[in-house]
Amino acid sequence: MRYRLKPLLSALVLGAVFALAAPAARADDALDRGVGSEWSSLDPHVNFDAAAGWIQMDAYEGLVSFASDGTIIPGAAESWEASEDGRIYTFHLRDGLKWSNGDPLVAQDYVNGALRTLNPATASEKGYYFYSVLQIKGAKELAEGTTADTAGFGITAPDARTVVVEMLEPAPHILDIMGAFAMSPLHSPSFEANGAGVFIDPTKLVSNGAYVIKEIVPQSHVYLEANPNYWDAANVGVKKVKYHVTEDVSTELKRYQAGEIDITYDIPLNQIEALKAEIPAEVHISPSTEVVYYSFNLTDEALSNIDLRRALSLAIDRETLEAKIVKGEAIPVLGYAGGFDPTYPGPVIAEASMTQAEREALAKELYAKAGFGPDNPLKVNIVTTVAEDSTKRAQGVALMWKKVLGVEAVVESQERKAWLDTFYAGTWDVFADNLVGDFAGAETFLAYMRPSAEAGYNWQSDAFEAAMNKAAALPDKPSRNAALAEAERILLDDYIFAPMAILPVRHLVKPNVKGYSDSPAGYNNSQLMSLE
Amino acid sequence: MLRFILRRLWDGGLTLAALVTLTFFVMRAAPGGPFSKTRKLSAEVLANIERSFHLDEPLWQQFARYVWGLLRFDLGPSMRFRDYSVTDILMSGLPYSLTIGFWAVAVAAVVGIALGVAGALRRNGWTDALAGTVGVAGIAVPIFVIGPLAQLVFALKLGWLPVGGWNDGWRSLVLPVLVLALPNIAYISRLTRSAMIETLRENYVRTARAKGIGARAVIWRHAMTGALLPVIAYLGPATAAIITGSILIETIFAVPGIGRHFVDAALARDYPLVMGVTITYGGFLIVFNILTDVLRGWLDPRLRNDR
Repeated sequence: MRYRLKPLLSALVLGAVFALAAPAARADDALDRGVGSEWSSLDPHVNFDAAAGWIQMDAYEGLVSFASDGTIIPGAAESWEASEDGRIYTFHLRDGLKWSNGDPLVAQDYVNGALRTLNPATASEKGYYFYSVLQIKGAKELAEGTTADTAGFGITAPDARTVVVEMLEPAPHILDIMGAFAMSPLHSPSFEANGAGVFIDPTKLVSNGAYVIKEIVPQSHVYLEANPNYWDAANVGVKKVKYHVTEDVSTELKRYQAGEIDITYDIPLNQIEALKAEIPAEVHISPSTEVVYYSFNLTDEALSNIDLRRALSLAIDRETLEAKIVKGEAIPVLGYAGGFDPTYPGPVIAEASMTQAEREALAKELYAKAGFGPDNPLKVNIVTTVAEDSTKRAQGVALMWKKVLGVEAVVESQERKAWLDTFYAGTWDVFADNLVGDFAGAETFLAYMRPSAEAGYNWQSDAFEAAMNKAAALPDKPSRNAALAEAERILLDDYIFAPMAILPVRHLVKPNVKGYSDSPAGYNNSQLMSLE
Repeated sequence: MLRFILRRLWDGGLTLAALVTLTFFVMRAAPGGPFSKTRKLSAEVLANIERSFHLDEPLWQQFARYVWGLLRFDLGPSMRFRDYSVTDILMSGLPYSLTIGFWAVAVAAVVGIALGVAGALRRNGWTDALAGTVGVAGIAVPIFVIGPLAQLVFALKLGWLPVGGWNDGWRSLVLPVLVLALPNIAYISRLTRSAMIETLRENYVRTARAKGIGARAVIWRHAMTGALLPVIAYLGPATAAIITGSILIETIFAVPGIGRHFVDAALARDYPLVMGVTITYGGFLIVFNILTDVLRGWLDPRLRNDR
């Protein structure tokens, strides 16, 4: 990379002239988007951050793409079909696809991208999309480094315009994964010539998306311009996009108000109400794919009692908690895996038809049944991260448990890394847990609760395993969703955790930005937007 | 003089070595690691990633590897910003931090000394009152209050300057520089004022006056050199701190400097980046302390024979 001494020099010269000229005009023809903290990587096969994912989705195109509302639409592949058993998907690439430098884009480039993601030498955290979220043949062996032989790999390119994906088990959610975030192609010549450094060098970078990266200033911004070689270049609404790093949400809000940013990364919690009153049309708050749930330590003697766990879950007034205490616009839930995919019915939850007063009455009953009461209160700790909303939520729960049941709960706020470590150390009674789904569907959440995915919960249920296995064998979405709902029912009935809320994504969007809409997976490709 | 400087450099090297060792092992003692972000990775894959960063080796071996790299001026790869080496990150961020820091120190020194001298000469006059007010305000009101306030007034209300970022040339510089300078103006003016008042009472100043030297020359040539000593003692380490970036300033004004890494890298357990910023700050601190000593020795002959 080039060291930027120019800003230093120009600042030295200009800084000497301390005179205030006319206000700078900041309205330009670029779409200015906030990305929060700096992207962790612009390497499409390494990046694991959702915010950097926006840049990636603009610069690269997967086999499929996503409409503003999250609907799956054709991307580089114009069509695809699944085999009868749902294990093999065949994607047909558009005719005449090109890389940004004019090279032809071929099916093998997608195979190479997936192989690079899985290659242990890449040290990517995203390989699990291929061996866990989807069980692609041979992916696990490649990711773990037990073999380097790519001959047995399930993603193949029989000809220049066909990509075949062979999985060990059917997975109707495969299309959610075939977007650019997990499935970016690799332009081998430029990568082989320059190594991974090519991804941050705009002079050498070759990409296939609607935009090409023109400028990268670490900690400041990434600037992209429309890619003339993109197959749909004529319909790219905004020709220039600039992603701005702004670590502090209050500063970002001010930059938005000053017209420096068109779409913010977030909204400060304490400003939401005021902004909703002031500029309601610009406040966009919608569910994300991140769920919050409070896990109970099943190895704890007291908490191994299901009545007690249910009592604790029932005693939480989720509506009040989110609306009056946390105030972050999270959506209170009694279920776990629903709310993202409108076609997922979810199980019937008994608590849902009860009033909060009824829940609390039942909670008291169960609490007493478990052998606790005013002279013998339950004592637990709640381990949470130091993030403002998480800590507030934990304090609110502790308060409700105290008020309804007389439980003596202590909130332990820990820095994020320490909090993760605490989970494995097992020194928690109640863990303020969260999970970000890999796609907007129920299965990503339910699969995570299998002991094979996360042993730390110390939960083993043959009924749940059987239900999940049954669902995993079904190739079509409706019957699979019905089977998953059955698995969720078994999971919820065991009260290994108390479902809490679905966290929202919060953006401010300028009224002159058209083509933006809310979606759980949060894909908002710039090419679909326009500036008026 | 040369011997003195060389000796201080040697001491500085030892300090830096101690700093490197301490930081390295204290960082590793913190719970978690750079790649413990979610719990979704399979153990084998996590192990592969850690192996590629040599995190699987025994600690002493990692330390030896790090020191060996350091001797070749290789600060290693960043574990959080995967596209860059630590050297890349420091080299891309330092110019911004240095620019803002340089101007903040310059503004603080000029304004601070002027206010201090004015206050000392006309004690209890209006300049003194002004200097006093600026001093109290600058010290008492923290940057995270003044910063957003300045943004509100100059960027949102008046529209003269951008809120943040680095997209408007020198305009982007004004607010962070002034806000960063403010507390330092306060300290420097207070220091100058009290040192000046004290110096004006010294015998050598009285002698100079008795010899019939003009008031201006007494102040600028004789009193000033004495009065500046404590200011320079303060400015040395303060400059090192200011030019290596302020996390508050850089966060509030979205400046792409290195200041924020002091906290963020530690939170992300980006071991090499933590080491990099620590060494950078330590190096600047040592150099500026030596410069301070040299400058003070030049201004005050009594200090030259201290060692």
